[in-house]
Amino acid sequence: MSALLAPSMVLIAVFVLAPVVYAIWLSMTNKRLTGFGARTPKFVGAENYTRLLTSADFLNSMGRTAQFIFFSAIVGQFLLGMLAAVLLTKSSVRAKGIIGGAILLPMVVPEVVASLAWASMLAPGPEGTVNRGLAAVGFTPVSWLQEYPMASIIVVNTWRGIAFAMIMFQAAIEGVSDDLIEAARMDGAGAWKVFRYITLPLIRGPIFLFLLLTTITTASVFGLVYFLTRGGPGQATELVSVFIYERSFAFFQLGLGSAASVIMLVVVLILGLTYVRLAKVEV
Amino acid sequence: MAVEAAVRPLTSETQVKHRRARSGATVVKHFGVYLVIVVLALFCAVPFAWVLLTSVDANAGLYLQAPTLTLDNFVRFFTEEGTPRLLANSLWISGASTALTLAFAIFGAYALSRYRFFGRRTLMFGILLIRVVPPTATIVPLYMIMINLGLNNTYTGLILVEAAYQLPLALWLLKGFIDSIPMELEEAAWIDGCSRLTGAWRVVFPLARPGVGACALFSFVNVWGDFLTPLVLLQSPEKYPISIGMFRAFSGRNQVDWGLLTSTAVLYMVPTVLLYLFVRRYLLRATVSGALKG
Repeated sequence: MSALLAPSMVLIAVFVLAPVVYAIWLSMTNKRLTGFGARTPKFVGAENYTRLLTSADFLNSMGRTAQFIFFSAIVGQFLLGMLAAVLLTKSSVRAKGIIGGAILLPMVVPEVVASLAWASMLAPGPEGTVNRGLAAVGFTPVSWLQEYPMASIIVVNTWRGIAFAMIMFQAAIEGVSDDLIEAARMDGAGAWKVFRYITLPLIRGPIFLFLLLTTITTASVFGLVYFLTRGGPGQATELVSVFIYERSFAFFQLGLGSAASVIMLVVVLILGLTYVRLAKVEV
Repeated sequence: MAVEAAVRPLTSETQVKHRRARSGATVVKHFGVYLVIVVLALFCAVPFAWVLLTSVDANAGLYLQAPTLTLDNFVRFFTEEGTPRLLANSLWISGASTALTLAFAIFGAYALSRYRFFGRRTLMFGILLIRVVPPTATIVPLYMIMINLGLNNTYTGLILVEAAYQLPLALWLLKGFIDSIPMELEEAAWIDGCSRLTGAWRVVFPLARPGVGACALFSFVNVWGDFLTPLVLLQSPEKYPISIGMFRAFSGRNQVDWGLLTSTAVLYMVPTVLLYLFVRRYLLRATVSGALKG
């Protein structure tokens, strides 16, 4: 039995768990990628943490990540995903396959392709796709990634996550018993009231799970943003994930980058534990 | 409406009017529903228009425009120096990691499904929890570990890491599939003289084939689309997969060759879109690890 599981466990232990432990150790050293700190890293205790927690750079990247999660995942993906799920579970809507497929597209393409597609959408000048659309209703062209970088990546990440929210909510809504809805209809409830007072309370659980999951995955979004902006202009879109990458591999401060990783890990693991406890997983 | 009125002569004039007004409202409502859902679908699909149109445009540029149709960009992808290599690299990395994931996960999942050992529940929860560890938060120490193991900038290293990343999901998915295969079938095989392992091999694994297939597709697509891990773990351009090649071409100092870049993007995204079509019905199970129960 243990022989059957061992290969999987070894691989996970070496490449997922060991890095977690190693991150904690590295975060307490002044390890650098090059120079003196590379050969003989010194133990520096909590110095990296105090440096991080008093540096505007890191605190701002935390703030931006919080903003990014709140607006793109908790507001954007939730609302649009719910809208798509509710409308697509309506029996009267035709062409569900095509519509659902279109909504699925942003999620299924590689993140590099998603970013590339938006590079053209958000291109500055009157020829950019978004600008051209807005010109039709009288707006002047905007350099989206320069003037509204956070708003831009929030829209892009919302776009990419609608499908995931839709899939989870569709499954939840299909689980709501038709009898209840029928009964409410008989009592004269309209579509909105049925949704607000019957469906919504009954799918509270899945909604909460979605919010936890999307918070976790959004916290670690990297490629989608890095491809488009590389954290810029300036540090305007430097999320924690980009901060970790830049500090470690552009400025070679592995100790500092690891400390930021540990902080991120702690937050994500707390959310993850809550998820596992609440998800009523069957094992 | 007229027929209804005819067979129900008792319907008063006002009632007919009322019904007519209501059906008018439903038409408006119906139209509204379609309007919203179509706008949403367009929002999701429109960004890809530029990628698709530019890949067949002889005057490819950064802006959405009617293409001067040509397949030259795709021809160039296969003839240009460097780009066919990206495709081969991606295929090798994703294929090998998927094979490794499956080879390990099939036996692991069998053990998790069929043996009741001490700590099994904790282990299952642990595996689920590992899925939430963000790669961004472990990439720095992982890089150091790869250097120490002498696996930095090697395919062996990258493939092992990618397999490790895919294993938690694969174990969960496959365990679910094996759970649904009746134990009695296996017991019958034992009576016929099969050992535990040959019983599993002859009876359980063939029946779990759809699960193995779904698992393979998910692993493949995940590794295929990965950006961060190869970005950090591979440094030689001749080893780059498509994701990193596209990133370098997009953000390099040279002028961007939009035609080549978008044709690469199309070739890169088509397999994932096709594979998702196949596994659409397993999508929910995979995205939440079979964790969701109504």
